[in-house]
Amino acid sequence: MKIKWLRIDSRLIHGQVANNWVNHVGASTIIAANDSAAKDDLRKTLLLQVAPGRTKSYVMTIAKTARCYKNPTYENLDVLMVVENPTDVLRLMDEGVEVTQVNVGGITFKEGMTLISEAVSVSPEDVKAFQELDKRGVKLILQQLPNTQSSDFMNRLKSKGLI
Amino acid sequence: MVAIVIAAHGNFSESLISTARMIFGNIENVEQVTFKPGEGIENLLEKYAIITESFDDDAVLFLVDLFGGSPYNAASRFVARRNNMDIVTGVNLPMVIEVLGKRLAGGTLEDLVQTAKQAGADGIKSFRDIFARQKMANSAMEDEGDVLG
Repeated sequence: MKIKWLRIDSRLIHGQVANNWVNHVGASTIIAANDSAAKDDLRKTLLLQVAPGRTKSYVMTIAKTARCYKNPTYENLDVLMVVENPTDVLRLMDEGVEVTQVNVGGITFKEGMTLISEAVSVSPEDVKAFQELDKRGVKLILQQLPNTQSSDFMNRLKSKGLI
Repeated sequence: MVAIVIAAHGNFSESLISTARMIFGNIENVEQVTFKPGEGIENLLEKYAIITESFDDDAVLFLVDLFGGSPYNAASRFVARRNNMDIVTGVNLPMVIEVLGKRLAGGTLEDLVQTAKQAGADGIKSFRDIFARQKMANSAMEDEGDVLG
């Protein structure tokens, strides 16, 4: 499996945004790797409903995503992978998925989080996970859409005084 | 690049473009034309003339709200004698986003007109229609094996 683009987006598969990225990175398949969505039949069904028509889309647990990643059948599959948060990226890596770059796209604000950009907020737990990803040499890019500006995510955390 | 003019009653064109930015990102070479109470066809013709002057010889696609409304009626007068222009009515957000995508991919005026008609209509769906035909996910099968699904 070739992960063409790994994106953190708490909305997972989300209409036009998924469509834009699939076209931009040239993926044939979308995998939303998320334990709670994969185990929730209704949520899974509704996520698949809005997935772009031209691509194959799957909602799977982190563990199953990692197993499929290692299945040689999918060696040449071009995948856009979306996860909810940085902790799930670490979990994928711990299960043997190779990650060199992550697009921090959208994390919805909740109580106790700090706003980093228009589309991204982080919890203290997220900050720790991002630091760990950085330590492991993963490049973290803050970018919302293919044709909007990208910037270095760790620099943003620093400038916000979070690390 | 084909220039795009979005013309509609009230503030719709303005809002539509700023909303499209939320989904599409940066948008260039798209002009908005508002049509407010008290204005008439002449005002619209003047606005179209001023806007298209800055486009050089580019082809122009007008996306207007209502077929038969003043933004359309003025545009039809404007476009009738200019071969490299066309109008599509019923402008909506799916139409604008798809047209911008097609233009980015190098679409001609004719391509953009086709995309606009198709996307404008395809964007209209009923949840119940789709849901009734959709197979419900079954997570009992979920966490097994290494096969996608």
